[in-house]
Amino acid sequence: MTVILLTDDTLQGIGLRYLLRQYFDIDATIATSADESADTPSTLYFVSPQRFAASLDFFIPRRSRTIITGENLRLDGSESVIVERLDSIVKNIEQRCPDNESAELSQREIEVLSLVARGLINKEIADKLNISFNTVLSHRKNITAKLGIKSVSGLSVYAIMNGYISESDLQR
Amino acid sequence: MALIYRDTRMSDVIAHEPSVIPVINRFGINLGTGDSSVAEICSAHGLDSDFVLVILNTFVNEGYFPEDKLLGFRTSEIIGYLIKTYTYYRNYQMPNIRRHFSLLIKSSGESNASLDAMFRFYQELERDIENRINHDLNELFPAITAMQADGGGIVIANTESDSIIEDKLGDLKSMFIKHLSGNYDLNLCYAVIVAIITLEKDIRQNNRIRDRILLPISRSLQQQN
Repeated sequence: MTVILLTDDTLQGIGLRYLLRQYFDIDATIATSADESADTPSTLYFVSPQRFAASLDFFIPRRSRTIITGENLRLDGSESVIVERLDSIVKNIEQRCPDNESAELSQREIEVLSLVARGLINKEIADKLNISFNTVLSHRKNITAKLGIKSVSGLSVYAIMNGYISESDLQR
Repeated sequence: MALIYRDTRMSDVIAHEPSVIPVINRFGINLGTGDSSVAEICSAHGLDSDFVLVILNTFVNEGYFPEDKLLGFRTSEIIGYLIKTYTYYRNYQMPNIRRHFSLLIKSSGESNASLDAMFRFYQELERDIENRINHDLNELFPAITAMQADGGGIVIANTESDSIIEDKLGDLKSMFIKHLSGNYDLNLCYAVIVAIITLEKDIRQNNRIRDRILLPISRSLQQQN
């Protein structure tokens, strides 16, 4: 999730950014204007009433993920009240845009992983599995995201640890 | 933690952020700092306290990286620090990981196939680190020093740190944290993970100084000549 802060008040922006980082592990960006190109379906906006009014064309279509400070989020509560409110806002967005990838590798990903681990390059894997080069890239991206392992030799170790390939497969 | 100043007590810095211990060690500062301030300890060790302060601050606050201040130091001082760092990796941090890792394998009855595979991966990673160290010590640093001394027109090839070492350190961490299986000694395993994370942080800091300070200096020297 990306969070963009458009407040009039610098200290308020810094305060929100601090709370989001401290309690939600979210790195919010303090911006000066609404930017169409940086928008994604899971971008959340915290915006002051003035800024909201100034860019109605931008915010009205995105109303469901726009929080107007002082209206949808009270600014004068205690820290724990504000944090609880932020919690429900963040959860709400996460529910609507879940990154519902399972952490398990799919059968196809295991096949790709085994070939990567054996030392094949992407082009060879594409030929061997009869899929496009870009599909191989996207499988590799997903594998790395799921396993937290980037390097080829790291992937080989993982494949050995899980019995997808054996040591002897490495000596080619 | 808050920024560190000349008059900050060294013991407070260490108590807040024990990960600076390997950093002060490589400057020759040992534990048992009493109530001495950073400046007092630096002068007792003949160190440039401004330089030590910048290094400590960038280490403690990862968001803090005063490029202007760093660019103001002598190149020889920055190279000297990087050499100390590399020597420390070589003589202390990497042997320490290797020693604990070997013990971990031994204490697991040498029957944990995952750990064996991970240890081989670590050894490969060590070779990558050695290669970068050797390249810097034998080629990059002498070339920069020579350019400064006589304006010699040595061409430095593209020497940005590639990210393979950082990637592999991250991979190794994931293997321990997400994928470890079988029996192993909990305490030794913790020691290995902490040592890996410490080295990872150290290398990350080191790369910032190498890539954002030293390499820009060397590029501008090259243009001047």
